[in-house]
Amino acid sequence: MGILDYFKPVDTWPPEKVRQFLDEKSPQEYNLVDVRTPREYEEEHLPGARLIPVGELETRWKELDRNKPTITY
Amino acid sequence: MRSRAAAAVLAREGFQEAYSMEGGIRAWKGLRASGPPDAGMAYFDPAKKAEEWIALAWMLEEGSCKFYGEMGKKGEGAEAAVLFRELSDDEEKHKSSLFKIYQRRSGKGSDPGFPRSLLSLESGVDYLEGGIVLEKALEWAQGKGRRDILEFSLSLEVNAIDLYIKMERKVEGKEAKEVFQALSNQERDHLKRLSAALQKE
Repeated sequence: MGILDYFKPVDTWPPEKVRQFLDEKSPQEYNLVDVRTPREYEEEHLPGARLIPVGELETRWKELDRNKPTITY
Repeated sequence: MRSRAAAAVLAREGFQEAYSMEGGIRAWKGLRASGPPDAGMAYFDPAKKAEEWIALAWMLEEGSCKFYGEMGKKGEGAEAAVLFRELSDDEEKHKSSLFKIYQRRSGKGSDPGFPRSLLSLESGVDYLEGGIVLEKALEWAQGKGRRDILEFSLSLEVNAIDLYIKMERKVEGKEAKEVFQALSNQERDHLKRLSAALQKE
């Protein structure tokens, strides 16, 4: 991950939209990725979220199905 | 910020739809689960894990079945008591679907070792999600009002959903995946019903 990734325009969803989406879909239909640290994850996370800290995403994105809608937080 | 960078990495790697949640978890108004990423699953021997996960899920269902059963006996607020009894009955059904899948996978008709010796647990102590001892939870609940008990129940369900989604993802075999998927869906339904009850408080 380069510094430029911080400045790229990305699609964002408000939490309310995320909540509605998660309510309507079953967990097999999307990727929900917590990109914080293991410590933060352990304290609290969205139900069913996978933990892939942002610094590891460069190598670990392959664990996710890229055809599925993916939400990061 | 981290989340935006993450979504940017994914978009670059060819994810057609990658969204960053605005405001991160601090902005999240919904319920939250707690605990490590493997939700305690890593504790078990990988060679036998599916059967052990099933046993673990059964134990937790047993714990919440008993917890809700006791809450259902508390007379105050008939509506909540009915809800707790229904939840308790559902968890009882979950136990039997878990036991059936265990039987099919292990090839054992009956197994006195299920579930406790698979998990190296002593008999007599029941557990809830997050390793909470049932007896302690019941003691705690004695002095508490409905609102606290509903909130505690919600946290049990959220962690159960979290666990079942992860088990579904990791377990091998279509049938076992379906069982965990069905369980997580049913616990989601419990969550809705508990939230509705809490809103009436």
